Amino acid sequence: MGSHNTIINLLSFALVAPLVSSLLAILLTRRVMFKAAGVFTTLVMLAACIASWYAGFLWMGDKPAAPLVCNIPWIPLHGMAAGYLYLGVMVDGLTIAMMCMVTLISTLVHLYSIGYMNGDKRYNRFFAYLSLFSFSMLGIVLANSIMMLFVFWELVGLTSYLLIGFWFEKRGPQLACKKAFVMNRIGDMGFLVGFGILFYQLGGRLLLPATGGQPANMFASLLDVLMKQDPNFSISNPPLWLTAAGIGLFFGAIGKSAQFPLHTWLPDAMEGPTPVSSIVHSATMVAAGVYLTARIYPILTPGAHLFIATIGLITLVIAACMALVMHDIKRVLAYSTLSQLGYMILGLGAGAWSFALFHLITHAFFKCCLFQCSGSVIHAAHHQQDMRYYGGLGRKMPITFACFAICTLAIAGASIPYTDIGISGFYSKDGIIAGTVNYGNALGGLFGPISKLYFWGPTAVAYLTVFYMTRSLALTFLGKPRDQHLYDNAHEAPWQMWLPQVVLAVMAIAAAPILMPMWLSNINHTHDAMVNSGVTWVQPGVAEELGQGMHYAHAKLLHGLSWIIMIAAGLVLFATEGGKKAVAAFVKLPGVGLIHNWFYNKFYFDALYDVFAVGLGKTIALICAALDKHVIDGVVNLTGFVTKIAASLTGRFDNRVVDGAVNGAATAARSGGDMLRSTQPGRIRVYVLGAFASACFVVLAVLVVVIVSR
Amino acid sequence: MASLLNWMIFVPCIGAVLCLFSPKQAAKSVALLTALVTLLLSVIIAVDYYTVQGASGVQYVTAVSWISSINAEYRTGVDGLSLPLVLLTTSLSVLVVLASWNIEKATGAFMALYLFLMSGMLGVFLSLDMFLFYVFFEISLLPMYFLIGIWGGPRKEYAAIKFFLYTLAGSICLLIVMLGLYFITPKAGLNLPNAGNTWDMMVLQSLPVRMLFANGGEYWGFAQAAFWLTMIAFLIKLPAVPFHTWLPDAHVEAPTPISMILAGVLLKMGGYAMMRITYPFFPAAAQEFWVYVAVLGVIAIIYGALCAMAQTDWKKLVAYSSVSHMGYVTLGLATLTRVGFDGAYYQMIGHGITSALMFFLVGVVYERAHHREINRLGGIWLKFPGYGGWSLLGFFAGMGLPGLCGFIGEIMVLLSAFQAAGNVNLIGAAGARSAADVQCWSYTLGVIAAAGVVLTAGYILWMFQRVYMGVEKPEYSHYAPINAREYVIMTALGLGAVVFGILPYLVFDLTTPTFNSLLSILGS
Repeated sequence: MGSHNTIINLLSFALVAPLVSSLLAILLTRRVMFKAAGVFTTLVMLAACIASWYAGFLWMGDKPAAPLVCNIPWIPLHGMAAGYLYLGVMVDGLTIAMMCMVTLISTLVHLYSIGYMNGDKRYNRFFAYLSLFSFSMLGIVLANSIMMLFVFWELVGLTSYLLIGFWFEKRGPQLACKKAFVMNRIGDMGFLVGFGILFYQLGGRLLLPATGGQPANMFASLLDVLMKQDPNFSISNPPLWLTAAGIGLFFGAIGKSAQFPLHTWLPDAMEGPTPVSSIVHSATMVAAGVYLTARIYPILTPGAHLFIATIGLITLVIAACMALVMHDIKRVLAYSTLSQLGYMILGLGAGAWSFALFHLITHAFFKCCLFQCSGSVIHAAHHQQDMRYYGGLGRKMPITFACFAICTLAIAGASIPYTDIGISGFYSKDGIIAGTVNYGNALGGLFGPISKLYFWGPTAVAYLTVFYMTRSLALTFLGKPRDQHLYDNAHEAPWQMWLPQVVLAVMAIAAAPILMPMWLSNINHTHDAMVNSGVTWVQPGVAEELGQGMHYAHAKLLHGLSWIIMIAAGLVLFATEGGKKAVAAFVKLPGVGLIHNWFYNKFYFDALYDVFAVGLGKTIALICAALDKHVIDGVVNLTGFVTKIAASLTGRFDNRVVDGAVNGAATAARSGGDMLRSTQPGRIRVYVLGAFASACFVVLAVLVVVIVSR
Repeated sequence: MASLLNWMIFVPCIGAVLCLFSPKQAAKSVALLTALVTLLLSVIIAVDYYTVQGASGVQYVTAVSWISSINAEYRTGVDGLSLPLVLLTTSLSVLVVLASWNIEKATGAFMALYLFLMSGMLGVFLSLDMFLFYVFFEISLLPMYFLIGIWGGPRKEYAAIKFFLYTLAGSICLLIVMLGLYFITPKAGLNLPNAGNTWDMMVLQSLPVRMLFANGGEYWGFAQAAFWLTMIAFLIKLPAVPFHTWLPDAHVEAPTPISMILAGVLLKMGGYAMMRITYPFFPAAAQEFWVYVAVLGVIAIIYGALCAMAQTDWKKLVAYSSVSHMGYVTLGLATLTRVGFDGAYYQMIGHGITSALMFFLVGVVYERAHHREINRLGGIWLKFPGYGGWSLLGFFAGMGLPGLCGFIGEIMVLLSAFQAAGNVNLIGAAGARSAADVQCWSYTLGVIAAAGVVLTAGYILWMFQRVYMGVEKPEYSHYAPINAREYVIMTALGLGAVVFGILPYLVFDLTTPTFNSLLSILGS
């Protein structure tokens, strides 16, 4: 048990350390050690990384059967069996894998930022935000309950907002950060509804203490709770509310992982500094939605699975189409990220749980590296991001070129043909596709031929992925320079920037198969625990056991030859002058041009949302405001007006009829008035005193009325 | 301790008189000192209360016969329902006095009126006698009327009169109910002196009296009318749509510190009074009408947020955000669940901190720019980085970001809206609704209320973008830097937002026994 406590302590340290360094970095203003902020937060992050990896090795040495849990009561729920909403830490195999990945990437991005953000006037704030982001992300990973997860989920949203909008002087980042947050909140709305339904339906049972007085962790016990509540419970014939709750919670993931139809914020988020894109909007935060879906997996019903798989499928297809035609180097990567997230979501929906999460890890390394490389290029090109002005940069930036090329191979899923040996993306993507084959076959009875789409979609997009990534590579690093001035001034990035790229590229190769135990085996540890607790609808986490799917996936992917073909095609078309002319001519063909425009304008989603969501929302808001001002307030003012008219009528009556009789008293009144004038010195203080006295008089009068009425 | 409690009510009164007769600078110091002394008294009481709180929670009761012919008593005391709000009042008051430091027009009178107001507010929270409560409820109106009417903006007279008349109209409703209660209570057969007529709130919510107002009881008709009359009185104060239009006007015209206390404490008198009077007095009616109340709450959440989104006046936007946030209080109470009540109460405390902070943040810029047009601002974050940081905290706390104080109340109320689906009390005694109806209502209301989080993010972020982001404007060059006094206020409120966002038990430890007995009255 000793090592288990150590693991919890180490991981808790890794969680809290970035928070502390973030708060301190805020204090390092321009007067006090401004420059130290970068180094300081990087070192703290490194310490957190070492702690996590050390904890990881302790874990591997002594894997406990049940997750390690530490629960702290937070919000009291009186009258409910559980008594509290808990904050706290839960550690299982998946947590360990995620912790090691996130801390490592975060450390490398901190280091990279020292180079990239050098000379920025809000240097210290950038590192404060970045560390705060790491804290929030680690909080999601370590969360012991849906509640804790949601807390850090929202903090991630906040830090993402701050980081996208870091250069808030410019209009682009302003709009992008707002869009990202609001889109995320739309997803959160679904999340809250799902949480609310679960909360009501399962009530205190959701958080019941396990044996030994220690409250169980929420995720693993979800299914257990369901079974206890209803002995006849079966996932194949679930109550409707469970499907609704599952889809509701998944909506949170749609927002955070930028899935269709809430995907439009992610490409816009590229307005943030590139280090931000490399960690927040590719490697970690957007993966949080996948992580959430993985955690709530035990309660997802077949209906919810189908919904999730469909969303994933749509996303991965449309995103790949858009990635094909973009000119901005970061946008290509952004759409590529969307597409890869679609793979993970589809994988989860299809039941390829382990491989979806494994893909999350491998994707994090190569996508982070790709973004860092693009950042180095943008840095060298003086913030020109349009690939039409690049070309031939490989000669000027050999290290960056090499890293980019390696990661292109990784995302392509490159392998030695006719063998099972490849680099990381090969293992993870193959598993997902194999899972979709099995899923499509299982669906066959329900949908007939349409169910084949769940397998053909990701397969076809796997080809497209290689193609659009090769296009980026070729346009940027190969061929002739298209902007001589830009080319002449280009240079290799400083070591703070290329070193992290190299480490990430190494990880992209080595994440599998060499580091397989750290990633896939740990993920499978959680997978097995889930299976043992009765989750029967999850596919095996070992490639050989995926059976027919694995066989099929290999066969359809031409035993690994496909990637070579697609890379060759990409190089021919985009690295040579003749190829480029052919592409240009092809795009001009009537039908093709139409489709090209459609892709290039992002399927007009943004325009659609601007009109129907934003425009409509603003119009309703204006209508409400007008209603408030003219109708509701109109009634109020009308009441006042009518009362005034009535008062003036009675006043006239009083003057002419009643007062006529008392006119004789006027003289007396005048002399009395002279006397009273001396008490009106025109000073507010006296008025106030008088007013206060008369107020007391009013109260007394009320009193008298009460007494008399008795 | 009971005498300390009474001192707490009247120390500000004494300070007010002193302020009236002292010169400008001295008046400020007197006011600050008075506020600090009151704060100290409230902290002493809170610490003591924490150690001795009894089963029902009511402590330190003073009962002195006041107007014996109508059995009106001077009866004060504190319990878990009032204590956190008392602490909110006393601590905000210190900051409000600090925020008023720049008031140059008749400073003494301003401070005196403010201190009178403070007495009124504390009196409302601490009185346990309906009559005394009513007197304080009215007394707190008057200083506010003058504070807006004299120190306000261009349309101050209109705003002040609107505020006054609106609340007064509500008070009349309350008065009717009070008279009814006074004449009905003897029928309960309680063994009380003076023929059984009483204003004692604790007696009025005791079982024999409630039996009269039960569904099908002797005075069920009266109970239904009384429930709505008191609700109207307090919904106006809260304010809930459609009784809210006095609020934006009052806020826009009121000077910054007065806006802070208006949003921070005065609105809470409405929510507090519902929990103290409406719900425990007429629980059967509350079960009967829960849907209507809940719908009012949800309308306020959504409608308030939409109105806020359309505003171009910065302060009006914040004012409408108060309407939206107070909708959560109404909704939480309507669900008649423990989680809902706890959430509604926490929402009041949380909003007390965030709204005061938001109004102060607006005031800081207004003092320099002399206008509040959102579209004319921009780039404030570049001009004042530190202030921008606190603004970020303040507005995100208002948005209900986890870890900040706006979140806990909101999430609890939202969860309670769903939990209401399983609340058997909501079916109604006569079987007015089926369980399926309740479920359908609660799901629908929960989903719509959840949509509020999107709208809230929308109007806050849109405002934040237009005011804080972008490049500095040339006219900012002559703006005075943020001074230490302003930083103190922002820091105090900002830290409060963080602390109460992380440690909810600071409030719940005080409220638990009282809410236990309150919710047992409501049948949950």
